[in-house]
Amino acid sequence: MSNTLKGAAAIVGVGTAGLGEAPGFNAMDIQALAVRAALEDAGLSLADVDGLFCANMSHTFPAISTIEYLGIAPRWIDGTNTGGSSFVAHAMSAAMALQAGLCDVALICYGATMRTGAGRMVPAAEQPTYEIPHQPRYPMTAYAMAAARHMAQFGTTREHLAEVALAARAWAQLNPDAFERGDLTMEDVLSSRMVLEPLTLRDCCLLTDGAGAVVMTRPDRARDLAQKPAYFLGGGVASYNRAISEMPDLTTTAAKDSGARAYAMAGLGPADMNVLQLYDAFTINVILFLEDLGFCPKGEGGAFVSGGHIAPGGGLPVNTNGGGLSFTHPGMYGIFTLIEATRQLRGEAGARQIPDAETVLCHGNGITLSHQATAILGSENTL
Amino acid sequence: MTASPDRPGPPPTGPDQQFQAHVADGRLWLQTCQDCGSAIFMPRILCPHCHSLSLQWAPASGLGTVYTRSVLHRRPKPGDDRPTEHAIILVDLDEGPRIMSRLPDTPAADIRIGMRVRARIAGEDGARVVLFDPEESKT
Repeated sequence: MSNTLKGAAAIVGVGTAGLGEAPGFNAMDIQALAVRAALEDAGLSLADVDGLFCANMSHTFPAISTIEYLGIAPRWIDGTNTGGSSFVAHAMSAAMALQAGLCDVALICYGATMRTGAGRMVPAAEQPTYEIPHQPRYPMTAYAMAAARHMAQFGTTREHLAEVALAARAWAQLNPDAFERGDLTMEDVLSSRMVLEPLTLRDCCLLTDGAGAVVMTRPDRARDLAQKPAYFLGGGVASYNRAISEMPDLTTTAAKDSGARAYAMAGLGPADMNVLQLYDAFTINVILFLEDLGFCPKGEGGAFVSGGHIAPGGGLPVNTNGGGLSFTHPGMYGIFTLIEATRQLRGEAGARQIPDAETVLCHGNGITLSHQATAILGSENTL
Repeated sequence: MTASPDRPGPPPTGPDQQFQAHVADGRLWLQTCQDCGSAIFMPRILCPHCHSLSLQWAPASGLGTVYTRSVLHRRPKPGDDRPTEHAIILVDLDEGPRIMSRLPDTPAADIRIGMRVRARIAGEDGARVVLFDPEESKT
């Protein structure tokens, strides 16, 4: 039964809007522009959308507010909010809803304007009761604690973390839409301001405005639309805890399980993945996910990313858009992993295109390493 | 047994209030599962390991080991006289559970992963918290 969703749906349209700074606009405004762009990309219209998948941190009821703003009346609505991983999980939920006939055109969308709005990362209103008295800085404290533990347990170094930031910047320099495209050196990262030890400013993702949207349909319809479909091959989610203090092992995330579930559904393994899109809220995330998703043994992620191995020209392309570290990070990033994966599979990624990309692994991380979602997408040849 | 809202008798309180009442009295107590023996934190109405409702409060040793740490480096602002470094730790209590806390009297640079620590209750009435001190420096 584990393969029933493989090939059940495909991404047929992607769009972005308001990347970087969108002064004077709100989250719903730029989200609507991204939705329009994604539907236009697919050759569909808002009138075709009958399934909605949506999460954010600005609205208590994101899906309902989105329905109202867009003027749509979908017959299937999923507002599951697991943090920044939501949209990667939504890809699997959308495949399920499409296969079940609950909808025919599924829209996944997100928008936020924290940079020009609040001017800071706006954390969730409710935080863990027994952590708050100690004044953690969410979400950074949690990731700094994971990094510190990984360093103590496996000898991971600040240089290892910096390699992730350097790779992201090198990819961003190939992406005209990236927010940070200036030159960045190892020395720049190591000497940047210490924010939350052991993480410096350059170990932390950007805070931008931005919106993204993804349109999915069943394969029969996908083949008749404007773009080359990016097929859903497998997905998985996993979560054990909300608070970082409740996480069983800060050096092993639930990506170990979400990834295993996605590989099982796709009938593929790490060696079959041509390109990775890993939610890089902080440099340590990429090291953790490379380990937990099976690209290197536990504890060896630091050595794995060294020498530009995940940068342009390296052995394994990771975060080819520049990631949350250098491309864009409007509070929740997950949807941008799906968008970049689709562009790579279509072969339309310009200077950063990976030749003959047939499979892309997308991985979303939610809250403070609290929820993990993996989705594997592939070209028609992989079905 | 943990109070149940369905039992007759004096007004019951939930696990959060019971934990805080112990802390307010200067004690670190943990729930222990009467079925699987696990010590539990954060306080809950059921055991997260075996899902039993049979939990009883018991004194904790207060001893633990620093599992990890992070240090916020604040940019000094006019009128802000807080220390520029704010260290937070996760402690693995000897009984098993992990707890977020601080070593308020230990310079951040001296906080090592793996160091032994001992709990104390600190703070004003109504706002008491569980903090830690290094255990190794004592004889």
